Amino acid sequence: MNPDPNEPGSPGSEAAEPKAARASVPVWLFVLFFLLLYWGMIYFDQRSAWADPQVYIPYHSAAELAVYQSRLEGPDISRGQLVFDRTCALCHGPDGRGKPGQAPPLAGSDWASAAGVNRLVRIPILGFTGPIQVNGQQYDFPTGMTPIAATRELMSDEDLANVLSFVRQAWGNKASPVTPEQVKIIRDRIGNRSTQLTAEELKGLPENM
Amino acid sequence: MAEVSSTQSTATGAPSAGSVIASAEIDLSCRVPLLILFLSAAVWLLVGSALALVASIKFHSPDFLAEQAWLTYGRVRPAYLNSVLYGFCVQAGLGVALWVLARLGRTLLAQPWLVILGGVLWNLGVTIGVAEILAGNTTGFENLEMPSHAAVIIFLGYLLLGIAGVLTFHRRRGRELFASQWFLFAALFWFAWIYSTANLLLLTFPARGVAQAVLTWWYSDNLQVVWLSLAGLAAVFYFVPKLAGRELHSHYLALFTFWFLVMFASWSGIPGTAPVPAWMPTVSTIATAFLILPVIAVALNVYRTMGRLIVVASGNPALSFVLVGVTAFVIAGLMQAGLALLDARQILHFTWFTTARSQLQFYGFFSMVMFGAIYHILPQLMRTEFASAKLLRVHLWLALVGTVLMVVPWAVGGIVQGIELQDPKVVFINIMKGSLPFLRVSTIGDLLLLLGHAVFLCNLIGLVVRFYRARAAAAYAAVTADLFKAAEAKT
Amino acid sequence: MNYGPLLFLAAFFALAGSWFGFVLTPQVQLGQLQQTNTVPAGATYPVARPGLGHQGLEVYRANGCASCHSQQVGQTGTVCDVVLTDAGTNPPALIQTLLQVRPGLSEAEAKTFLGGLPKPVLERVTKEAADAATKALTVGGAKPQVWIVPTGPDIARGWGKRRTVAEDFLFDYPVMLGSQRIGPDLADVGARLPDANWHLRHLYAPRLEVKDSTMPPYRFLFEKRRIERARSPDALPLPARLAPEAGYEIVPTPKAKALVAYVMSLRADAPLFVAPLTVAAPPPETNAVPAK
Repeated sequence: MNPDPNEPGSPGSEAAEPKAARASVPVWLFVLFFLLLYWGMIYFDQRSAWADPQVYIPYHSAAELAVYQSRLEGPDISRGQLVFDRTCALCHGPDGRGKPGQAPPLAGSDWASAAGVNRLVRIPILGFTGPIQVNGQQYDFPTGMTPIAATRELMSDEDLANVLSFVRQAWGNKASPVTPEQVKIIRDRIGNRSTQLTAEELKGLPENM
Repeated sequence: MAEVSSTQSTATGAPSAGSVIASAEIDLSCRVPLLILFLSAAVWLLVGSALALVASIKFHSPDFLAEQAWLTYGRVRPAYLNSVLYGFCVQAGLGVALWVLARLGRTLLAQPWLVILGGVLWNLGVTIGVAEILAGNTTGFENLEMPSHAAVIIFLGYLLLGIAGVLTFHRRRGRELFASQWFLFAALFWFAWIYSTANLLLLTFPARGVAQAVLTWWYSDNLQVVWLSLAGLAAVFYFVPKLAGRELHSHYLALFTFWFLVMFASWSGIPGTAPVPAWMPTVSTIATAFLILPVIAVALNVYRTMGRLIVVASGNPALSFVLVGVTAFVIAGLMQAGLALLDARQILHFTWFTTARSQLQFYGFFSMVMFGAIYHILPQLMRTEFASAKLLRVHLWLALVGTVLMVVPWAVGGIVQGIELQDPKVVFINIMKGSLPFLRVSTIGDLLLLLGHAVFLCNLIGLVVRFYRARAAAAYAAVTADLFKAAEAKT
Repeated sequence: MNYGPLLFLAAFFALAGSWFGFVLTPQVQLGQLQQTNTVPAGATYPVARPGLGHQGLEVYRANGCASCHSQQVGQTGTVCDVVLTDAGTNPPALIQTLLQVRPGLSEAEAKTFLGGLPKPVLERVTKEAADAATKALTVGGAKPQVWIVPTGPDIARGWGKRRTVAEDFLFDYPVMLGSQRIGPDLADVGARLPDANWHLRHLYAPRLEVKDSTMPPYRFLFEKRRIERARSPDALPLPARLAPEAGYEIVPTPKAKALVAYVMSLRADAPLFVAPLTVAAPPPETNAVPAK
């Protein structure tokens, strides 16, 4: 090749571009790979909770997380309020004052604030029909109240207990909460009945459970 | 030993199809662009090492340079990391990549102006970025501290450099690919993807909450573990057989390395203590454990290629650098994979051990391989030898001892720190005090590295000066020879 | 064989895989998170930082505090305590049960136990043991409670009551979790160091508050001012060797105050579904009318 007078001397001979021989990959490397794969699969199964976004180390599953939750002492009033706003407020009003032609008031109601809960709990489970006297005022609604919590599928024991507990301490009411156990006992006692309650029947029932 | 093959066209004209291009011509086409890249990289390395030394000294005397806001530890450390990672590592890696692609493809560097412009933009971006970090406009994301205006310039520079690389690869003669070409081709688009994704989803359209942290860890891991390994191993697989004068032991082992590296290494970034759902650290641990496979494959390949020649390697400083780099790669890989297999990642996560491993990766492995590569490439480009091979060896020893002194105390200190952090009875301040003796040794390591990098820059500048001096002398000789001829002709 | 396209596809799909796993999926799982409720009280969590705290986050970011401080509390397990809050109406039966549940107790100790409730009956037991003990202790109206207690080295060190989770960082930008513990973990520091003046002194001269600390002083966040008519109420009380000369005082700049507000707003101890924890209940209110 033509030496370029502007270029300083060649730096000496340089090795050729490298080539690769074709030795094979040792088998034990593949064996190691499969061992690692096995370890990896077990490790993933044990630790990852299968990509559940709620499970952090050191928990292993959402079920385990649920076991460790702090249980609330007493009723869940905020849950009760949520259920009330979603289900009961339509007729009884968001302020518990009732709606003319639809439902009697719950605020300050003697039925709602009674010391014993036997009568109150049955009302949402069985529904109500006919006239009723609340706080000295007579109410008669042609449509009555549907059994809004007839079955556990419609409203669970906890939800019914929470919403009744909410009602019993809202808008100036001051009464004891209702527990899910009480709701369960009353539902078992009621059994498979489909007829609605009336004011006379309610008065005939004992106030306490 | 092979020789430079002859060309069938003039030195300046484009070679006709089918003719072989001389290595000297390839080197000539690479000269100016790569000189810019390598010299700038060396300067950034020096700047970064100086910042690292400052940061290191601050552990022993926290009042050192504490009056100015721009010199506080929290700004100096990210500035040093960004200078070294972006200023030196990626830039040098790209320079070496372009040369290796051109040589292996037996083709001229494609569009040298792209590389020059890309290099200028890159350096501009890194300068702005590091200045902004020191000014307090850091983004807060680890390894991505440069704000978006600097990042855009860097990305543009990268695009130009990457396109030149892809074009050079595309122009290759011969269909058969050598291992380095796979690694480099993957590396070229890898950085573009991770850098753009990280910047878009962290700076431009920020993700919400800890998704930012996951993204940062993904990016860091892909940059430091994947990209540096891809670019570094490409250089290793090229230079070890070439400088040893042998064939690479196994093409298939290199293929194995490539596949396992790209498949698993990019999942290994999430630490065990992270406030993220359990599956993310679990997947990372598994992926990190799998990294042992490419590490073993590289060690096997290089060892079998070198064989007995390892002892003789000290004769060639460039080869020594590359082999030191490979050793560091294997050790860093074993550190990482070993931790994962022992399920101890979360114990050592917040300690000096992770810093040690990361330094081993980009100082011990990548920088060493780049030094070896540049020490081989630059004389080829400039067609000049280094003034004295002794200075190269001085650099080698300074870098080697410096790296060992920096990494080993941090690793040991990190293990001690990790064990003590697990024991709540040890008061925290005593843990920090216990690390100080280790930190003193590693500060000495930082100093030696700084000196070594200064020697590196001097070597490079010395070579360029020699080139221009020789050229000036040749020009002078040519002119005076003409004058003499004219004078003789007259008489 | 023309490897070029095959190579590209291989590397492309490899990176696409990890992009899918660690960029897209976290965006779906974590990037769409909304505020959640604490368990069991149902308070909204997290609430955004106060304005000064938000500015402090910028100071924290600009000075790279995350280079030394982490904000991740780890947890290695969960245990339960059984706490007796009410002795009920049948002390003898309760004492008998106590002796069964806690074999190491003597009769005299059991009797004195019932005075000065609430007290833990069992500590650091498994959930099953705690549930069994609680069932047994519900005798005569006694009220035992199961308390969920996370455990781990960070928690034992007092750095948090539970592990940090994604919701703790929901509104932060940038999320600076840190990767080194050159300084202590700060995820819950607002609970353990609620004194703003401590933080200001610590920023100005760390070794004043923590002997042998390696934290650099942040004197540039403070201002040396000539005392005008009277000393500023913000002026830092400093010992003689650090105090400025007579007639001058050291006052924190707005940046220092913002940083301290941010640090004091760092809390990660709300009980959540994903990070269960029992916190001592606040005193009960009497039949409050719920706000609408």
